[in-house]
Amino acid sequence: MRKVSLRSSFALIMALLVILGLCIYIIRYINHGEEWALYFDQATSSCTYTLTDRNGVVLAKMGNGEKTYAEDADVRTACYQLVGDYGGNVGTGALSSFTKELSGYNLITGIEAQDDVDLSLTVDSKLNVKAYEALNGRNGAVIVSNYKTGEILCMVSSASIDPNNPPTEIPDGAYINRCISSAFTPGSVFKLVTLTAAIENIDNLYQRSFTCNGSFEVNGLTVTCTGTHGTQTIEQALANSCNCAFGQLALELGADTIAEYAAKLGLTSSHQLDSITTAAGNFDKAEANSASLAWSGIGQYNDLVCPYSMLRLVSAVANGGTVVEPSLLGVSDTESEMLKGSTAAKIASMMSYNVTYHYGESTFPGLKICAKTGTAEVGDGQASHGWFVGFLDDDKHPYAFAVIVEHGGSGLGSAGAIANAVLQAAVND
Amino acid sequence: MSALIVKIISFIAPLFAIIVLIRAVRSMFNGKTQTEIWGYIQTDEKVLRITHWENIIGRTRSADIHLSNPKVSRVHAVLIRTAKAKWRIFDIFSKGGVRVNGDPVGASGYPLNDGDIINLSDVSVRFRDINERQRSEIESRRVVTWKNVHPAVTLLYLSVFQIMILLEHCFTAASENVPEIALGFVLLILLEWFCYFLMRSLRKTGFEVEIIAFFLSTIGLSVIATSVPTEIFRQMIIVFAGVVAFFLLGAWMRDLDRTKTMRIPAAVIAIGLLAVTLVIGDVQNGAKNWIFIGSTSIQPSEFVKVAFIYVGAATLDRLFSTKNLIVFIGFSAVCVMALALMSDFGTALIFFATFLVISFMRSGSIATVALAVSGAGMAGFLMLKIKTHVAKRFAAWGHVWEDVYDTGYQQTHAMSAGAGGGLFGKGAGNGWLKDGFAANTDTVFSLVCEELGLLIAICAVLAVLSLAFFAVRNTAQGRSAYYSIAACATASMFTIQLALNVFGSVDILPFTGVTFPFVSRGGSSVLACWMLLAFIKAGDTRKGASFVVKAPDAKDKEAKA
Repeated sequence: MRKVSLRSSFALIMALLVILGLCIYIIRYINHGEEWALYFDQATSSCTYTLTDRNGVVLAKMGNGEKTYAEDADVRTACYQLVGDYGGNVGTGALSSFTKELSGYNLITGIEAQDDVDLSLTVDSKLNVKAYEALNGRNGAVIVSNYKTGEILCMVSSASIDPNNPPTEIPDGAYINRCISSAFTPGSVFKLVTLTAAIENIDNLYQRSFTCNGSFEVNGLTVTCTGTHGTQTIEQALANSCNCAFGQLALELGADTIAEYAAKLGLTSSHQLDSITTAAGNFDKAEANSASLAWSGIGQYNDLVCPYSMLRLVSAVANGGTVVEPSLLGVSDTESEMLKGSTAAKIASMMSYNVTYHYGESTFPGLKICAKTGTAEVGDGQASHGWFVGFLDDDKHPYAFAVIVEHGGSGLGSAGAIANAVLQAAVND
Repeated sequence: MSALIVKIISFIAPLFAIIVLIRAVRSMFNGKTQTEIWGYIQTDEKVLRITHWENIIGRTRSADIHLSNPKVSRVHAVLIRTAKAKWRIFDIFSKGGVRVNGDPVGASGYPLNDGDIINLSDVSVRFRDINERQRSEIESRRVVTWKNVHPAVTLLYLSVFQIMILLEHCFTAASENVPEIALGFVLLILLEWFCYFLMRSLRKTGFEVEIIAFFLSTIGLSVIATSVPTEIFRQMIIVFAGVVAFFLLGAWMRDLDRTKTMRIPAAVIAIGLLAVTLVIGDVQNGAKNWIFIGSTSIQPSEFVKVAFIYVGAATLDRLFSTKNLIVFIGFSAVCVMALALMSDFGTALIFFATFLVISFMRSGSIATVALAVSGAGMAGFLMLKIKTHVAKRFAAWGHVWEDVYDTGYQQTHAMSAGAGGGLFGKGAGNGWLKDGFAANTDTVFSLVCEELGLLIAICAVLAVLSLAFFAVRNTAQGRSAYYSIAACATASMFTIQLALNVFGSVDILPFTGVTFPFVSRGGSSVLACWMLLAFIKAGDTRKGASFVVKAPDAKDKEAKA
């Protein structure tokens, strides 16, 4: 019997292994429970919730077995990538990204099946409709935020669809929110980075004069400019968006310094917009004293920037160098210093000068606008991407914005006009 | 309002589950087991105590009566006390033979009386039996169950738990199903109290394994109520039949000789059942392991599990018989092969693992185990080759989230739903997993997690494990190797089933689709679980607790008074 009794410990070992397995499950449950619970549509299907914009306009409503979107077709289309759909086609859409908020998940109580959840986004659907109209069928992205509070007021991506009547052929990229999930060649809006580096690294920047003959040579290769700007100050060079001036500044600063500033200004890394991870940009360090380095300093070469990162940058400039992290849920309370207050002030005044000196205040009636255009060459004989980024220097309307129109041609003409339309609506509301 | 009530109940119910479990376990492990002396072996130098009813005499260290004389074989003889307090000695492979008072002893044994001289080779020892007074002393010293934890109180807690789960269902179920669900739960409560009073009237006080089984049955009933509410009455009939079978099998096993004589017939019936299934069985979910009789379907392999342990266990004298071992290995091989032919991979695995446990407990020879393992390895390889769907499940193991709509479908949905329940669950009847494929069998752990919460699901797992710990603890005082082996083999079988079911569904082990003991839906499975429980109950030797140890007669009590 002793023998049998000793051997019975085998059964004991198996039981202990099960307890070990149970511990493994509990550890995985703690680490991945939320991820698991929210994976399937069913997770939130037992919930009743309403997703609204900042003014209470219903964007999506689930409950009693019904799943609906906004009543108005224009709102549905303009807010498609923002809201997402019940099929989970837009990975960054609120319905997919904010399942935790919508389902009230936590580790202890699991998914609160019974509660009526009301989730309100900071976006104003009217502005989205305005922006989508202004895009007028062109592919692009419009994003506007309040740089003092971080609230995102407008976020539109085109091409878009109406989730209630999706076309049989879904337009290319309709499932992608270009504001946060795409990175584009920045063109001249990248000059803000080179400018920041120059302000902080070149002592006599303001005393210098920059001569533009329409092009300049680097190692036998030509870097062309958009015009022949003659002799300019740094303010004028920015307003002219002079490639000669900024190309030469790039050569002088070197690839390492520009790369450092691109990273510091948040253009190369991805960010967290609430629980959404945004697209990272790109800056490749070109060889010293090469045409590529000059091009990289004026937003061409291999440079890529996500509109969202651009919005953060101009928000920081507008807000004295400190960026209030944008949010769709209006719960942002994280701030971080992106650049020195003095640098921010200098850039801000130059962006203001851009408008008065070059873009024309009459283009933006009634708006105290500070901005920078970009016309990014994309090659293949296609029209350039038009960019327009900036902010309103207006305490009552502290709005920052980033607009891009794919293949829209001139930044001012395409993106600038859209920015004006949306900002007019935002200010005069 | 009703949602709030369900919420509140779901926060309190786990507390009662934990109390029931703790009380049952405390009672199982109440008090120390004391060494009992049933006789003596006097050698020239010393007096050796006989502390079991079945004893190995030999030179091996693990012998119960250890004689270091080199002329004694490692396992020389087996000394057995029968239920009628008679002793018998058996010669086991000894080189020098065994004689009692000069008469040779064979493998069939020889009766022993107090004072007899036993010759092991040429070592002479004297056997001394204990007298009537010593015997009754042992009886009175035996651990009395429920000394500190009264079963009626535990049962009361269990009943409150059951009423809570029932209430949750009343609020969440479709109104036309409410009467039937209520009837099911009320019948379960009545059944457990009836069993309790029946045991009391028989002066049996041990009620822990029954409480554990009723606790698990409650969770099983909740699973039925949420997934197939119209089957709840049928489920109750099965539980009732299971309880009856549990008592009948227990009563049958009180007599070890009677039990032993039925081993071969049981093996024949089991093989017959499997053969019939192979011929006229129906295929469901890829496994040909169902027999339909009219509208009822049975899964014969579940009952073969009971026969498997019944045949596999053996008393100490038979344990070393080659014939006995060959019969068992042959029987196991036929069972595993038949199950493999039916494509019932999970059950084949359970049989095989249980076979290993029984082999190990019986012989312990590493060679036997090694042979069996290599044989299984080959069989497993063959099956993986043949059964592509099994191979697919192994391939999906650890990667279920990479293919959530095909090979990982059941597991990922189970994990998602289970995690959604949190610690307290969404409330009985409130989940979405219940409508999923085989949710009330294969992924029942997650179904319980989702609706009743992780805490109750963990209680269910620990409840099954408590049976295993109980079985192992009891072997130290087992009346016979037969009961000890049977109890430990059953415990292992439950444990393996539990592990494959729970960990298979949450991607810690490959997904095999076996049942969670007592909880998974399945008439044959639930019935077989109750029958298997009889083996664990039979291993229990505490006073007034067991089938095996008789309670002191009323007459004895009167005489003492």
